[in-house]
Amino acid sequence: MASGETAVSSCKNRGMMRLFNHFQTSLDSKVVVALTGLGLAGFVVFHMLGNLQVFEGAEALNSYAAFLRDMPILLWTTRLGLLSIVALHIGLAIQLTLHNRRARPVAYAVREYRKASLASRTMAVTGSVLLLFIVFHLLHLTAGVVDTSFPDRLDLQGHRDVYGKVVHAFRNPLFVALYLAGQFVLGLHLSHAVSSSLQTLGFEHAALNRLFKAAGPVIALLVVLGNMAIILAVFLGVVRT
Amino acid sequence: MKFTLKIWRQQGPDDKGRFVTYQAHEVSPDMSFLEMLDSVNQGLIVKGEEPVAFEHDCREGICGSCSLVINGVPHGPERGIATCQLYMRRFSDGATITIEPWRARAFPIIKDLVVDRRALDRVMQAGGYISVNTGGAVDGNVVLIGKDQAETAMDAASCIGCGACVAACKNASAMLFVAAKVSHLASLPQGKPERTRRVTAMMEAMDREGFGACGNQYECEAVCPKSISVRFIATLNREYLRAGVVESGAPTVPEAPHAESD
Repeated sequence: MASGETAVSSCKNRGMMRLFNHFQTSLDSKVVVALTGLGLAGFVVFHMLGNLQVFEGAEALNSYAAFLRDMPILLWTTRLGLLSIVALHIGLAIQLTLHNRRARPVAYAVREYRKASLASRTMAVTGSVLLLFIVFHLLHLTAGVVDTSFPDRLDLQGHRDVYGKVVHAFRNPLFVALYLAGQFVLGLHLSHAVSSSLQTLGFEHAALNRLFKAAGPVIALLVVLGNMAIILAVFLGVVRT
Repeated sequence: MKFTLKIWRQQGPDDKGRFVTYQAHEVSPDMSFLEMLDSVNQGLIVKGEEPVAFEHDCREGICGSCSLVINGVPHGPERGIATCQLYMRRFSDGATITIEPWRARAFPIIKDLVVDRRALDRVMQAGGYISVNTGGAVDGNVVLIGKDQAETAMDAASCIGCGACVAACKNASAMLFVAAKVSHLASLPQGKPERTRRVTAMMEAMDREGFGACGNQYECEAVCPKSISVRFIATLNREYLRAGVVESGAPTVPEAPHAESD
């Protein structure tokens, strides 16, 4: 046997390696993808809940938007934090996908799936489309470069008129169609992602397994329904300026 | 019964391989799938052709030798059985059946439908064992193990190592196999002393052998001849995370299973 000292030092090296150097196994990468993914899912839920304030009228939504933007340090910390989480999530997901593709160089001539859901089979595709949609969404409603027909203006309280911008955007059937398509892809991605992440993080319990399994589809449905309610309410004229 | 068989033929590891169509006549519905292949091979031998190579041993679903992907499903259309336990009455008369080998980078094809599954053995050698000192055998029931614990361990230990999980997985991942071995040993007191080192070493070995990562699609569970549950994969993940936190005196490179001591 090696001396105790060697064993201890090699164990320290190993820990250091695993923490700082690189990920030792694909499971390390998967855990990080799961954690960052859950973080992003959490963001999407709060994003939807916050935006539901559109139903309370212009004042509520505009002052909520102003509240979020009023603290530049917090705003930029959140933005940079989200950006690095997204980068980590996508980077490792691409690495894992390539690793997985290499594992089966010759495909089956006939393939029949028994259990794999459509969502689970299209994670790479829905993830990529989602990234494009998010970039478009940020350019559209955050940066305002996609549609310049609505000028940045202030409401009566002196807040930026986010409400007016949202209503203006979803009057346009083209944007409505694009956002509804985005919601479909988001829902598909989330419905597999959340439960899958819980499994990757080792959540397993005789009594709670059904809850873990249902978490993904339920959260996906809530987010999609909430967001669709906003889009369709504006389009159908329930919410108007 | 009559069948049209599309069988993967490949001379050796370096051959490109292709599908060859054969006709199976006068097949009894009570023949097992392997017996049907035996009769096709008899016909080929009589005609002076090379018989189809496929792996088999016990033919009663416990050895884990048979390894055929039948119409796109490892071990064929029935659930919870190995290929050898599949009977021809399960197919409709006159059907076309496609037969392929397990396909994974970690399982190179040796010939026709026979693949080299030693990658699974090497994963086992990395940590799928307990180190026991030599000496007299321990008396039975000295270490008491609860009923539930014993049942859980047995559920995991029923893995026969056939590799259908790898064959079914989109990513050719061996997670269900590793999960079964790790969960089996981690749920018993005899496996506890080495659990930290074991899970890390086996996960590293799985990557090293060229298996993919788990995508949580659970196709593995659906084709497993022993219906091993994917909840063991969650157990494996938890064991791995625990090992990352604990990381006790684990040597970076696992020693040989029976290394000489000083």
